[in-house]
Amino acid sequence: MRRALLILRKDLVVLRRSPALVVILVAYPVMIAVLIGLMATYANAKPRVALVDEAGLPSSFTLAGHTFHVDRTIDQVSRNVKLIRMPAAQARRELQSGRLVAVITIPRGFLATLKALVSSPHLILDTGNGGITPRVRQQMQALVYNLNLRLQRAFITSDLHYVDLLLHGGSGEIAGRRFSVLGLDRAGTLLDRLPPRSEVLELRDFVHDAQLALALTGTAIRATANPIQLEEATQKGRTWALSAQVQAYALALTISFLALLLAAGALAAERDENVIGRLARGLVGLGQLVWAKIALAATVALALGLAIALTFGIAIEAGNVSGGEPWQRLPLLCAGLLLAGAALGALGALIGGLARETRTASLVAILLVLPIVFVGLVPKEVVPPAGWVSDAFPFVHAVRLFTSSLYDASPWGPFGRELAWLAGIGAAYGVLARVAARRLAG
Amino acid sequence: MTDGAPLLAVRAVARTFGTQTALEPTDLAVWDGEAVALVGPNGAGKSTLLAILAGALAPTAGSVERRLGTRTGWMPQRPAHYGRLSARQNLELFARLEGEAHAATAARGLVARFELPDDDRPSASLSVGNRQRLDLALAVLGDPNVLLLDEPTAALDPRQRRRLWETAAAVKDGGGAVVLVTQNVEDLERVADRVAVLLDGRLVFDGTLGEYQRSEAADVFA
Repeated sequence: MRRALLILRKDLVVLRRSPALVVILVAYPVMIAVLIGLMATYANAKPRVALVDEAGLPSSFTLAGHTFHVDRTIDQVSRNVKLIRMPAAQARRELQSGRLVAVITIPRGFLATLKALVSSPHLILDTGNGGITPRVRQQMQALVYNLNLRLQRAFITSDLHYVDLLLHGGSGEIAGRRFSVLGLDRAGTLLDRLPPRSEVLELRDFVHDAQLALALTGTAIRATANPIQLEEATQKGRTWALSAQVQAYALALTISFLALLLAAGALAAERDENVIGRLARGLVGLGQLVWAKIALAATVALALGLAIALTFGIAIEAGNVSGGEPWQRLPLLCAGLLLAGAALGALGALIGGLARETRTASLVAILLVLPIVFVGLVPKEVVPPAGWVSDAFPFVHAVRLFTSSLYDASPWGPFGRELAWLAGIGAAYGVLARVAARRLAG
Repeated sequence: MTDGAPLLAVRAVARTFGTQTALEPTDLAVWDGEAVALVGPNGAGKSTLLAILAGALAPTAGSVERRLGTRTGWMPQRPAHYGRLSARQNLELFARLEGEAHAATAARGLVARFELPDDDRPSASLSVGNRQRLDLALAVLGDPNVLLLDEPTAALDPRQRRRLWETAAAVKDGGGAVVLVTQNVEDLERVADRVAVLLDGRLVFDGTLGEYQRSEAADVFA
């Protein structure tokens, strides 16, 4: 153990004497984390959808006494998708070339059909085969839902106007014909003036019941039209960049790159430096050498992970972000960083042992770490095989471990489970690395 | 020879690298006060045999025997130290690994003895000769009584070459042994009193320096 620690100390001295290497080792994963962050932001950007207006909609129109402003409606939709007016031919061409994700067409006669209230007019949605098509389809369904809701409200308001006429009397218009209605209030007043004969009393009762029933009609119709309403309460939460998830991913991604590359390169470098033979002469066994590289990866992962967590914490405290940084959880995070770093180091040592040469080991580590990270970013609920594959590598367990250790209300369950995963796969990679290290001595 | 057992011996050792045979089954014993030169053309298996004697390379067949108390020091042909560390840092690290109680003092002593640069320069930036001297200094760490040297004078200037011969002679005269791989006739004549010739991985001659010089095997240096 003492000799493995001496090799670890030597590796740390070598790192200290190689500032350019350290800068690259730290800057590269940080750059990748930022690029993935930008990619995630881009994935949330508005998809381009064409609006083909064959109906020639006016800028506003009135229906059931309610004025609809077409441009305002488009603006509302544009919060989620970028709706661009364009001719049908251009829209078709751009959809085929993938520059648009969907085309929504308002066919000829749309407004006339809508106003006639005989049959439902149609909006036509053409979509491509891109990955975000389901999201655009949902956006368009939401648009149609919102338009229907607004039309529904307009129709209900219009219908309730007639109910109001029946209750209180007055004049109205249906299909261009004006009319006057006595109204139940006035009818009741007139009945009150008549002698109280049994027929008159029955009519008074009917008018009274009808007044009560119609007074409740408005509430009843609105409730029937919208049995459930969604009330949105906006809270001042964390920004995307400072969210718990981003912190956990940034930590896991950075230490994955660093620990894997460092352990792979450092083990293979022992052979490149031609010291394996010198060490093998009873000074440091291959097992101890593998241990030293795992310890190196764990130590550097702890130092860098802690630095990242502190940077996040300072940014969160300075920005007075709701929830704050969970400083009391740092010891738990340190334990997670050490174990995750060790598991990644064991995988790195396996690569180093198999590659035998520093340049090959570094290249293989870089080639391997990217798919490990990307497969870990795919939600396993969406692609179950991605979940199975990523379970075999430390990255995804590190993400879950950091999330639970920093932000779960009761972290012990998930923390313990991920700790066991990391210990298990770390031990397996460690054993394989020890076997592969024999190649270094050959 | 003392108490009947050699300081260091190999019995039927062989080594292959993949499908390539580097050393056929070979026997060799090194006795107290002896300096053995391993000679032969390139690729004959000399460095492989020396690395097996040093315990730096495991044989694929056969066994290595060390008399109790034998301490070997090995200087390989290619530089074998950490290029990013300075000469002193390398010596201090390996002194600690050897279990030297006063590693820093031992390292300082070796830096002075072998006239190595005592600054912070990475050893990878040193001259070939200086790197070879550093490897020789590493070989004598732990006060070995068997010194295994692989073409040790290839990059040394005459003064350092004399120093190496003195070091080898001191080990031999102290009752230890030296095994030397060389292509240099002067090394052979200055250091060796026994010569083993390897050819295509086989030991084809093993005799005294005089016997060697009179034999056809001496054509290796012709």
